[in-house]
Amino acid sequence: MDLGSRLTVVVGSGGVGKTTLAAALGLRSAAAGVNTLVMTFDPSRRLKDALGIGNAEGNAELAVSGTGGCLHASLLDARATFDDLVARYAEDDETRRRILGNSYYRHLAGHLGGILEYMAVERLFEVASSGRYDRIILDTPPTTQAIDFLEAPTRIVDFLDSGALKIALAPWFDAEGGLRATSRLGFVGRGLEQFLDRVVGMQLLRDMSEFFRAFGPLFGGFRDRASETESLLAGEETRFVLVTGAGEARIPDTLFFARKLEEAGYRLGPVVVNRVHPNVAGSVSGDKNSAGQRLFRWLGDRDQRGLVALRELLKSEQSLVAMPLAGDEPTDLGSLDALGQELERRWVDEALRSS
Amino acid sequence: MPVLERLLQRRLIVVTGKGGVGKSAMTSVLGRSLARRGRRALVLEVDPRENLHQMLGVAPSGGAIVEVEPNFYLQNLKPRHVVDWVVEKQVRIKMIAKRVMRSPIYHRFVEGAPGLTEIAILGHALRLARGELSGTPDIDVVVLDAPATGHGVYLLTAPRLFAEAIGDGPFAQLAGEVADYVADPVASGVVVVTQAEEMPVQEALELRRALAERFGREPELLIANGLYPPAPEGDGEDELTALWRRRYQLNASQLERLDRQWAGPRIDLPLLPIDGGAELVAALGDRFDSALTNLEEA
Repeated sequence: MDLGSRLTVVVGSGGVGKTTLAAALGLRSAAAGVNTLVMTFDPSRRLKDALGIGNAEGNAELAVSGTGGCLHASLLDARATFDDLVARYAEDDETRRRILGNSYYRHLAGHLGGILEYMAVERLFEVASSGRYDRIILDTPPTTQAIDFLEAPTRIVDFLDSGALKIALAPWFDAEGGLRATSRLGFVGRGLEQFLDRVVGMQLLRDMSEFFRAFGPLFGGFRDRASETESLLAGEETRFVLVTGAGEARIPDTLFFARKLEEAGYRLGPVVVNRVHPNVAGSVSGDKNSAGQRLFRWLGDRDQRGLVALRELLKSEQSLVAMPLAGDEPTDLGSLDALGQELERRWVDEALRSS
Repeated sequence: MPVLERLLQRRLIVVTGKGGVGKSAMTSVLGRSLARRGRRALVLEVDPRENLHQMLGVAPSGGAIVEVEPNFYLQNLKPRHVVDWVVEKQVRIKMIAKRVMRSPIYHRFVEGAPGLTEIAILGHALRLARGELSGTPDIDVVVLDAPATGHGVYLLTAPRLFAEAIGDGPFAQLAGEVADYVADPVASGVVVVTQAEEMPVQEALELRRALAERFGREPELLIANGLYPPAPEGDGEDELTALWRRRYQLNASQLERLDRQWAGPRIDLPLLPIDGGAELVAALGDRFDSALTNLEEA
């Protein structure tokens, strides 16, 4: 298996089983004696229990027992990362208090476009540069299009460069809290002022301005780390694993995703089609014409058609791994490891085929 | 009051649930059902990659309102357009408004400002249902296919947060109006879609708790979608039957979990051997309709 990478990023739409597969990969990596960290978002109760991290809080890296200390797991907590950043980079206690108490920060900053995704990247970078692990397996957050996650660092840098920050950091208010004359912004600027004043509302502007001013020193660091993280994601030692659901209906999404990754210059490992229904032609006992049997035949055919079509649409050198639908989701380390072995075996077979 | 009667009263129904559970199909099914019961219904989609039109067998909306069948409409909404509309209304000199809208700073603001997208979506639904938009058909109820990002409840809580954090200005005012509308148990309601698997059920239950905590109310209805049929009993243990039985048992245990934690109305819909699209919506729609009628009688 091409787990030679130091960073494996598991991507795909919500609900396809990314988190479970990421954990299974982590177990296999640890079984090979590699000191591994699995970073994950929002795992199910059962998966948390299986990994023994049921009570983990805010970014703690916990050892998974039974792996000889080779596997650690960490739940990403974006809010905690954000608060940590504030605590770490605020110039003094007063600044820290001002940010944490700012109503914009408390209520809305957590929803600032892309900020949570960005915080995940921030955290990834911190762990990757700590040298605590030889391999990191990153499960990406459940966004509609997980590509958002990868674009977060670039978006933040764009934001910093767009002039929006300059506007936000401008001394908008005089000592009395009134809006200063800003005619120097010129014609468009006057429109913007009208926009800011009449449309956005002064209170928001005041809060945002205070927030960004207090955050000013942090943003320089954001820019540096955003470009370093970008190099980490696009680096030689990083592989992406794209997980998708079975069936033809999923194909457009999968192709879109694969193309986006390629365009961004990332290295795509296998595309994993997860939970493929078995091909059942003639292998079933009981009434072959019952509604249930017809359904399963249809599901098997549908998933098979999907695989064939996807194979044709992907580049021939792109590896494609089909994982069968299991009776149960893994409930303990044993079944999680079995899933990992199955994935490993199919991954190797596919690598042999495509080489 | 029976579920059906409640649903027929609402002006806005938000359909929510974890990604991949069939939310778009259920939005279509619910809109179709309400339209066929005499409500002028519009299903509203926010995803820029249009998908609902395929479920309903019509041309893509591209932002326009498309008639699906009499009294039944579809629209794909770009939240940006709603924000633009507010700007045009507020900044009265057209040329300046245009310049503002072309400026990159404005773009960043609209994309990045937290809560703005949510207010734009709900504000649009509100104005549609109130007949405040010119050149649109009369609409009694908007059925919204909520974006699958994070927990659907943020869509509903954002307007209040925004209104409280900001205080003045036209967006704050719109946010306040939208927040009142969302909190009004007669005007608006939430329908939760799930599959009988662990994570979707988890999210459905979390959503329910959040609704209770923030709004003091319950979802109108829960739909459990994509259920496997009961496996044949004692017919030998070939691999498929074993798999089938396990998936069926998994569904059953998650439905029990729902039963234990929520006594409200639920409609169960089967996994059907039909690829997506209008055919699937029609087949599920018929089952949904009869289940809804039976819930009413219960």
